[in-house]
Amino acid sequence: MFNTNASAQPPAADYAGSAQMTEQPWQQLGGISTDNTKYPARASVEGVGIVIFKTKSGFRGVQRACPHMQATMMNAELIANDTMVRCPLHVFTFKLSDGKGVNCPGFKLTIYEIKEEDGKFFGRVAN
Amino acid sequence: MNAATDSFVLKGGHVLDAEQRIDGVADVHVAGGKIQHVGSREAVPGEQVIDVSGNYVSAGWVDIHVHAYGTLGFANPDTVGVYQGVTSFVDAGGPGIGVLDQFMELLGHLETTLFAGAFIRPMGLLGLNFIEGNVRTLGEVPITRWVDFAQQHRDMLRYIKCNAIGDYGPGTLKLTKGLAQILDLPLYMHIGEFQLQNPEFLLAPEAFRIAEAGDMITHLYHGNLGKVIDDKGKVLPVVRDAERRGVIFDLGFGGYNFSWEVAEKAFAQDLVPHTISSDLQQFNVVRPVKSLANVMSAMMRLGLTLPEVIERVTRNPAKAISLTDRAGSLKSGLPADITVFRVNSGEYEISDCYTKSRKAEKQIEPLVTFKNGKRFNADMAMGQAESNWFLQIVEDRIPERASALSAAQRDFLNSLAARLSSTTWEVSNAERLDIEKALELQDMFHRERSAHGLSLKDALQAVYASFLDQPFTMQIGLLLVRLEQPFAVDRLRDVSGKRPLAA
Repeated sequence: MFNTNASAQPPAADYAGSAQMTEQPWQQLGGISTDNTKYPARASVEGVGIVIFKTKSGFRGVQRACPHMQATMMNAELIANDTMVRCPLHVFTFKLSDGKGVNCPGFKLTIYEIKEEDGKFFGRVAN
Repeated sequence: MNAATDSFVLKGGHVLDAEQRIDGVADVHVAGGKIQHVGSREAVPGEQVIDVSGNYVSAGWVDIHVHAYGTLGFANPDTVGVYQGVTSFVDAGGPGIGVLDQFMELLGHLETTLFAGAFIRPMGLLGLNFIEGNVRTLGEVPITRWVDFAQQHRDMLRYIKCNAIGDYGPGTLKLTKGLAQILDLPLYMHIGEFQLQNPEFLLAPEAFRIAEAGDMITHLYHGNLGKVIDDKGKVLPVVRDAERRGVIFDLGFGGYNFSWEVAEKAFAQDLVPHTISSDLQQFNVVRPVKSLANVMSAMMRLGLTLPEVIERVTRNPAKAISLTDRAGSLKSGLPADITVFRVNSGEYEISDCYTKSRKAEKQIEPLVTFKNGKRFNADMAMGQAESNWFLQIVEDRIPERASALSAAQRDFLNSLAARLSSTTWEVSNAERLDIEKALELQDMFHRERSAHGLSLKDALQAVYASFLDQPFTMQIGLLLVRLEQPFAVDRLRDVSGKRPLAA
């Protein structure tokens, strides 16, 4: 079991200084191992629950509950060539790039960048 | 329609018609788009014979609660109409007085007859869950404009809708009741607070108190705050009082509004909806609503008999919206709006809007619909097609349909872009929608189209084609206000073909 209170990892050089605002530091994910084979999967970033999806272009994390009616995003499905995620309860659909609601303007899903390094998962808020 | 198909007989079906007290095998003769006769009669020479034995035949179904227009509507509303056994439906709150002109221009020519259950707010239902209660409920009520519209388009209006939700007290309900009285229309109220966790004042009981005979309350079996039953499961006295006064109870299944637990408890105490409606919209057609037929199957599972179910989608809704002169029965002389369906036996699962489902042994399946005698074969998949309900702004390219726009439409778009670039707006978030700005953008749209002498329909289609692949229809101010301003302006200029080249 991973320690959910793992200390913050320094940001990788690739990301440092690339944006006008300070980017969030990478955090080791809790509640999941890189041996995990079944996705979507639950994990946590600094104690905040997220759901990780395995897409064609790598892992992506989203907040645990749909911002509409708080249904679990564990039941959500990847659509549009894995670029969007859709909650099955009322088909509210969000872009995995920036979390914006596609058919539900005004609604936004928190998105997490996820990377795998040294056999561990790290994540940080992407939007 | 040619003579060969003009006159036909549906032979050997089991006819259900509460109005004429028919419940048995009979032939239905149709000519000239009207019902001629129900019963056995010698075939008329030249009359086409359609064998429907083994199936049921009823008047075309009337769904008094769908969302065809606006932010909840469908690219092709007929998919949940004549293609699913429904020959007439009412848009429950899509348009308000500020957009009824747009609504009529865009949706006046469906195969399914569409009526407006107009919303108290000028813009109509906003569709999504903007938390600001005032945005969801009360708006300006320009009485003179309402009266003028009702005089000109009396037939289009079937009720006035408001939502008994939010935390602003009963003002909206009372004002809407007043407007409905002024216009001599029924009041239609949504009950069930599905958003606020702890409102100070629950409006559902107030809705039951305000409603008079002929007024309607929808979402009878919802499981949100403001249920028809108390904590012990007993039907509230205020609900019984309304029932005794002649208030009409509507099912309104919807995406939030049907709970098996509430339904079963209320049904056990004989609290039964007078009308069965679907509340079909973008966000519930895939699940849990699917179709009016699915909702009817749910009502059979609950304990209604087939004739009781059919009465609640034919005679009862036709009476509720004063449509008995043209729908709800197979009486001679009425338009030939007919639904042929069957009742399948098997193992089916019917979900409510929460997490509960029930096993059912019967399923109602529409087969063929006739609208004024014109035939439509049922297609239950069309409504569920993603292109029919997934309203997505096309961001990365210009929609193909834009290439068909006329020079006049492009000129208009260029002027509209110029006008929109003179203002700014913030894209709404879940807590806040700038409704004033939406109305302002709508005014700009109208001023430009009027300056260009463009018809309302052509102007609307030009903007829709600039942003949407599918022919959704939506309040134009709402469409614009949900776009980022620079994107909207650039796209309109691109489509107009007059975007200044970058330096």
